[in-house]
Amino acid sequence: MLVDFEVIKRAQTGDSAAFNEVVLAYRKRVLGTIARSIARPEDVEDVAQEVFLRLYFSLEQLRTPEVFEPWLYRLTVNAAYDYLRKQRRRMEFRMSDLSEQQVIMADAVAGGKIERDVQYHKKIRESVDSLLGAVSEADRILLMLKEVDGLSLKELEKIYKVNENALKVRLFRARQRVLKAFGAASKGKSPDNAG
Amino acid sequence: MRGSDEERLDALFRAFRDCPTPEPSVNFMPTLWARIESRQRFSFSFRRMAGAFVTAALALSVALGIYLAIPQSNQAYYSQTYIEATANSNLNTADIVGPVLSDLSDPGR
Repeated sequence: MLVDFEVIKRAQTGDSAAFNEVVLAYRKRVLGTIARSIARPEDVEDVAQEVFLRLYFSLEQLRTPEVFEPWLYRLTVNAAYDYLRKQRRRMEFRMSDLSEQQVIMADAVAGGKIERDVQYHKKIRESVDSLLGAVSEADRILLMLKEVDGLSLKELEKIYKVNENALKVRLFRARQRVLKAFGAASKGKSPDNAG
Repeated sequence: MRGSDEERLDALFRAFRDCPTPEPSVNFMPTLWARIESRQRFSFSFRRMAGAFVTAALALSVALGIYLAIPQSNQAYYSQTYIEATANSNLNTADIVGPVLSDLSDPGR
């Protein structure tokens, strides 16, 4: 736990300072999970704020502060999932937005090494984003939590409230689909050579 | 081939994990609180609207109840029974059904 149970209890009673403390403690983690789930840096902060907004209005429903972290993960997963679903609907518009964003990012970057690093990370993100297009939004987030965030099956069980075996099956199928897409993409162009 | 794909995919995921996490901007907290307040205002005005609607519906129900409970002065009362009223309305009309004839000797009639 990044904050004491006492702080969460105070935040539940409407204490703004305690809520601020919770946000400051968890925002980096939430931003990281969202960044890896949606792979669009320009929207990460907006989705993270949505998570904390939902947290603020539903905090009083939390019965025990002990389950706060899996609960916050669930809120994060749901917000990322909602974003990805909307994203799919707005795909055509997003493509033009993205190209504009890329131009802005390219303009903003100064210096050779920084530029190379930024370009490398951008390509990694794009490769992962494109590979994860092979699975549903829900499986994409699940796969990210397991493979990239490194959550255990026990932790995922608490977040999803689904038994471990069902999660294993979902993860296996999702990974197989991604692997298949990866194999197909490798035939054209190796993602390892992307950077 | 499959094994090498697995390893390369794991390597890609590792590289993805090492990508820097975006730092929260300086406006993160002010924007969050502005969004919270905006949502609160919206739900407050919605609650007020819903309250006003419920009050208006209650007042209307009470008014309707009172209106129905008060006997109306211009209400028409009928002193006759249904049979009497029917009989009176048929006084001037010709009998549709004539008297029954019991003479069966002439089948032509």
